[in-house]
Amino acid sequence: MITPFQVACKNLLRKKMRTWLTLIGIMLSSWVLVSLFGFNRGYESALNRDIDNLGCQLMIMAKGCPYEAATLMLQGGQGLRYIEESMVQKIAREPEVERITPILMQAFFDPNKGESGGIAGFYGVEAASFPAMKPFLRFKNGGWFKGESAAEVVMGYEAAELEQREVGDFTLVPEKNVRLKVVGILERTGTQDDGTIFVPLKTLMKISGTDKITTIGITLKKDADQAKLENKLYQLPDLQVVSFSQVKQTIMKLVATARVMVFSIALVALLISMVGVVNTVLMSVLERKQEIGILKTMGAMPRDIFCLVWTETLILCSAGGMLGIAFALIFARVTDLLVRRILPYAPSGGLVEIDAGLALLTLLVIVAVGLASGIYPAWRAGSMRPLESIRSE
Amino acid sequence: MPMYLLRIVFLALLLCSTGTLPALAAVGCGLNDPDRDVPRLFPESTSYLTSYSSIAQRGGESLRKKIENRLGNRYLTLYAPIDAPYTFYEIYRDKKRVGYIHGVNQKGQFGGIQVFVALDLSGRIKTFYLQKITGSSAGKFRDAAFYRKFVGVSLRDFDGFDPASGKGSGRLAEIANPAPELDTDFYGILRGLKKNLILMDEFVFSAPWGKP
Repeated sequence: MITPFQVACKNLLRKKMRTWLTLIGIMLSSWVLVSLFGFNRGYESALNRDIDNLGCQLMIMAKGCPYEAATLMLQGGQGLRYIEESMVQKIAREPEVERITPILMQAFFDPNKGESGGIAGFYGVEAASFPAMKPFLRFKNGGWFKGESAAEVVMGYEAAELEQREVGDFTLVPEKNVRLKVVGILERTGTQDDGTIFVPLKTLMKISGTDKITTIGITLKKDADQAKLENKLYQLPDLQVVSFSQVKQTIMKLVATARVMVFSIALVALLISMVGVVNTVLMSVLERKQEIGILKTMGAMPRDIFCLVWTETLILCSAGGMLGIAFALIFARVTDLLVRRILPYAPSGGLVEIDAGLALLTLLVIVAVGLASGIYPAWRAGSMRPLESIRSE
Repeated sequence: MPMYLLRIVFLALLLCSTGTLPALAAVGCGLNDPDRDVPRLFPESTSYLTSYSSIAQRGGESLRKKIENRLGNRYLTLYAPIDAPYTFYEIYRDKKRVGYIHGVNQKGQFGGIQVFVALDLSGRIKTFYLQKITGSSAGKFRDAAFYRKFVGVSLRDFDGFDPASGKGSGRLAEIANPAPELDTDFYGILRGLKKNLILMDEFVFSAPWGKP
């Protein structure tokens, strides 16, 4: 005996092109929706990961000083401002501070880089305090410096790749012509550490002829009052405090604006697909007026007809929803790349995270919205008068 | 909608997706600013075409072994897996191809050396360019007079000269090291030149496909 599900399938297959077009509409809406949900989840976790990878919640530097290597390079190694090293001890005494590390960034001009010379950046860090800030750093070969004044370097993976260095090789500080031995090469992390050359702080101070530092990284104790510490640090003269939670909030605000716009577009897409479903099912119902009339004369109750038409809607929405989710999963990487092009700042790692729970939620939303759209055509079909329907052309 | 149409749409979308994925392999050696560097190395050029190819794509493990045998060195380069993409610049004057530019990374005394060669269609060096080299007197290797000594050099010139040991005869053996304190760099450059010529020979000149 033929089931209502089989009847619904047969009805949908009568007008194949119309069914496919409706299915594609639902699929696209579902694709957009699940990708958006995935982005909503993925972006924040990627941003948190990036901020965690910085290894500290607060950074202190002299006012106007760039605090990351890329900015330093863009400025051609200019624009560095210094702070006294004694400031490290002063800040370390604050009760909210768990760990603290002094950093010295230096850039040297290398005339033999590119057509007209380039900048080589070095990052002076303490072997005693810096690794604790970045516990995720793993060595491909070797390890951290043997001493705080050793003539040694540790290279990020990409820096070692560019410089073709292995553990035991020597590298040279341009301008100063100081030889440093490579003692460690880090594994790839996907962060700016990959392109960094780390030198013991005291060694870099000696090479640069300075007894000052450029940056202090601060990790807070668990449950410490960050705002309170920030307020105290703001009182220190000529220093700027960069709070990564503030940076995160600013970025999230920017992204939230973009997210609202994209969600609006997704809503419109959903509405369009709803109209598409109503149109398809209603057309199908109107085309089958006589058939429905005959069914009713044979004893089919309005509820049976309603359920039959609703099953068609259910099939369309489920199939379209599942196809959309499948496409979203297959093309998550492409969505990731597109989002990266649009956003002002995109953290490293996957931006679109779609898991089984999210896929199921999207499918439920699509099916619920679809079923709601199918109510009117199903009601129209269910409430048709048998004789009028049979007589109609 | 017919099934074959669906299949075509799906395949096209799949191709779009894989085509735009960033390469996860190590990055090969490319010119920093091709729009500026190509006319400098090939003054007669009017345009160029960039293409990428890897040993994995062109022959895999057997090709890698063949290249290493010809090079006389087990390691082609550090940090370059078999799928590392090599960048080839095809140089055109109007619509006519006039030569190629290709570069390799080579280990030097204090850092990586990026050796680029500009070749004519017969595989002879028109000029070469060290995009990056590290060392206090490394500038001597970037001198135009040093570059000129290699004009016309082809892979055949390396038949009687071993750039790893510096032993042999011929025009390459007669070229003096302009910075004797940087011996590793001098022989590194020579090895880089040979590597460039071998890769170009394998990928372009003796390849059945004729061009990268």
